[in-house]
Amino acid sequence: MTLNNFIRLALIKTASLILVLLGVSFLTFLLYYYAPGDKALAIANARYIGEGSASAELVEQIRLETGIDRPFLVQFYYWAQDIVQLDFGVSLVSQEPVSEIFVSQLQETLELAILSLVIGMSLAIPLSMISVWKPKSFIDRFAIALSSVGAAIPSYWLGLIFIFVFAAKLQLLPAYGSGSLAHLILPASTLGLWVLTSQTRLIRSFLLEASAAPFLETLKIRGVGPKELFCRHIVRHAFVPFITMLGLDLAFLLEGAVIVEVVFARGGVGSLLVHSVMSRDFPIIQCIVIFSAVTYVTINSAVEIFQWFINPVSLQR
Amino acid sequence: MVHQPCILTEIMSYFMSVFAFRNLVLPVQTKTLLKKHSIILLVFGFFAGLVFLGFFMTPYNPVETNFLNRLGSPSWQNWFGTDQMGRDIATRILYGAGWSVGLALIVSTAGAVIGTIIGLLAGSLGRLVDGFCMRMTDSFFAFPELIAAIVITGVLGPNTINMVIALILVSWMRFARLVRALTEDIKRRDYVIQAKLNKIPYYLVLSRHYLPNIILSVVVIWTSSWSRTILSISGLSFLGFGVQPPQAEWGAMLLDGKPYMLSAPHVMIFPGLAVLITVLTLNLMGDHLRDHLQALEK
Amino acid sequence: MLEVNKLSVRMQKQNLLEDISFQLNRGETLCIIGESGSGKTTLLRTLLGLIPMSQGSVMLESQVYQSPEQSQIGLPSTQIVMQDPIAALNPRQKIKCSIAESLYKLSLQAAEIDQAVKQALRDVELPEGMENRYPSQISLGQAQRVCIARAIVAKPGILFFDEPLSALDAIIQKQIAQLLYRLKKQNALSYIFVTHDLGFARHYADKILLLNNGKVEEYRDVNLFFQRPESRYGQELLEAAYILGSLPQKKTEEFRVA
Repeated sequence: MTLNNFIRLALIKTASLILVLLGVSFLTFLLYYYAPGDKALAIANARYIGEGSASAELVEQIRLETGIDRPFLVQFYYWAQDIVQLDFGVSLVSQEPVSEIFVSQLQETLELAILSLVIGMSLAIPLSMISVWKPKSFIDRFAIALSSVGAAIPSYWLGLIFIFVFAAKLQLLPAYGSGSLAHLILPASTLGLWVLTSQTRLIRSFLLEASAAPFLETLKIRGVGPKELFCRHIVRHAFVPFITMLGLDLAFLLEGAVIVEVVFARGGVGSLLVHSVMSRDFPIIQCIVIFSAVTYVTINSAVEIFQWFINPVSLQR
Repeated sequence: MVHQPCILTEIMSYFMSVFAFRNLVLPVQTKTLLKKHSIILLVFGFFAGLVFLGFFMTPYNPVETNFLNRLGSPSWQNWFGTDQMGRDIATRILYGAGWSVGLALIVSTAGAVIGTIIGLLAGSLGRLVDGFCMRMTDSFFAFPELIAAIVITGVLGPNTINMVIALILVSWMRFARLVRALTEDIKRRDYVIQAKLNKIPYYLVLSRHYLPNIILSVVVIWTSSWSRTILSISGLSFLGFGVQPPQAEWGAMLLDGKPYMLSAPHVMIFPGLAVLITVLTLNLMGDHLRDHLQALEK
Repeated sequence: MLEVNKLSVRMQKQNLLEDISFQLNRGETLCIIGESGSGKTTLLRTLLGLIPMSQGSVMLESQVYQSPEQSQIGLPSTQIVMQDPIAALNPRQKIKCSIAESLYKLSLQAAEIDQAVKQALRDVELPEGMENRYPSQISLGQAQRVCIARAIVAKPGILFFDEPLSALDAIIQKQIAQLLYRLKKQNALSYIFVTHDLGFARHYADKILLLNNGKVEEYRDVNLFFQRPESRYGQELLEAAYILGSLPQKKTEEFRVA
């Protein structure tokens, strides 16, 4: 593996990354472009909300101003120019800059995501490790059952059950809204359970795969004790796929956050998305969609580069 | 009799062989297959039979309102109680199975077909096609499934058809990636090289060498995609982007019943349980199928 | 009938094959030997048309193939038997369909195809009813026989073999070798073997083509080669084989029992 090769591969990766980002923005624009309804009218109505239906003149003016009737590719060009400069425009509803709205909501989602990740991971790692360490034990069976039932639970339903039990019946925690740590517990547990089940399933299968590796036989014959075998070799071997999946799961936490935020009537990117889609507030929708896609693509590439460093063999493919 | 192949007979015999599940049970006898996976098949058969019988046995209409009997608790007349408009929840859940499971079946099948075609083309044709198809797949893949589905349905207008379109658009990439990886592998196999040397036309190589060897893995992903889609459909409907009330979709029922959930928890417990049980059963079926196929490979 | 003239293959600025020339007459057997990486398989794949040739020409039955485009199509009336018979058969295709693929370009009637497949299976001494099985239901030796049947069913002039015996057990190796010899005598076939089994080459070949680093080290009659190799590389090779005991001192005719 020479440095030259590495640079060549990095260039290829960057090129394909740029292509994917271009594809992502193109798809987003495509959706906006082909969205039904008169966009100029929608903007006019949203901007001058108190004055009834907007006049034809006004609509015409907005049409000129935003360039909605220009050809597809020209529009895409100007649109992409703004996006590259991270200028997402102003919200059609509130007239505030989209980036400001977005950043303020992102914080709340991050709180939720991080806390649920901590809850999920701190349970998933020991659970899956014990499950592989002592196969067919009670904990192993529990882990298997949990991961298959957990994958089937609709998270919005789980959220409602949590609200019903802990907020309504036991009156331990607040059900709706956000602000304090107490408000965060129920949503974070809902999302955390999702993390727990999906991660238990994954980590368990990585550990099982690692413990079936052929080199372990040689180590066993050489007299390496089972404890050392497990802690030093199997766990280390399962680490790389674990990091890979963790990166991708982070991106998908955003997805889980959408439903949880709506169920618990919290603020955050997810509920912002749902509300903007309802009111057809395109600048905000675009901002969130591109943010989530770019996050995913970036994490994906970062994970891949990380893999190159850990395991140079994967470069040769 | 070995026939000189033509496209039509090829397609026909291909579908016949797939439907006969010839490939699925090949070296293992059907009896041992049934024995090994009897429990999950029984569970599946039980629920399928229940839904089937329920359609004919239920005396209620899923959308007809009856305000005299609002939010009734579970009883002998209404097994799962009634909702805020006096409709029988058990009946609505039965009809909801048609929405959730049926729509999900359409979505995942369409996704499987599109993804398989794109993956096959990418894997079996040259590098240019491969590059184009895979960058396109990556671009689609970059959007988290649910977020993309919400935005597409929301922008196109929240109704059932738009939701199905949106879910198909976000579900095919999984298949494309899998099929492309498998196809690339098969492309290097000796029998494909031999077919090339014998000047077998491309469509025949596709239908005889590539497709039969990837179809089982596609079926496994297809079952998991099916159950994922059930969750997505009810999730979207719960957010108000999918099947619209008063239709008896499970997510839409939860959305409807949410305001009444404190006084009458049964309006939200049973639809959610229906989703849970259905998805769980399908997941387990998929696991069994995968195990069986892995055993076949060895 | 086959004449290869100064064939070269260049890929990514590397000379994979340089100036390969040899001739093969009807009914002759040529063994291409050499260590792994010497270009044996590349030569075979070039002749099959899987790798384009950069220079030189190939003449088959007074038809000349010169440009890479022509060579991409592959030589007509040639067939190949690969090393791993299981990998060479589509696991989801009945044996008769695999064999019938070779007949595709002849556009025959269904009954004729059926007839030819049955005859080919008889030729390779497989029992009746084998044609309806799948590759997973037959043994390795049987699978190799099926591959041979697939190769001979279209009545080719030249058969290529890429290490046809190395995946098999010794007894089956002997049986297959005898079968191949009988088929050759019956149909006046020409064989080109790629092998690194010097013992097999000695017993079986009429001519030897010794490759090293993509160049021809030696191209001679088999008896002459084994008595006294001309090149240094050939001498070293034989010496090593004698020391290891993988090459018997004497030639036997045991393989050539029809």
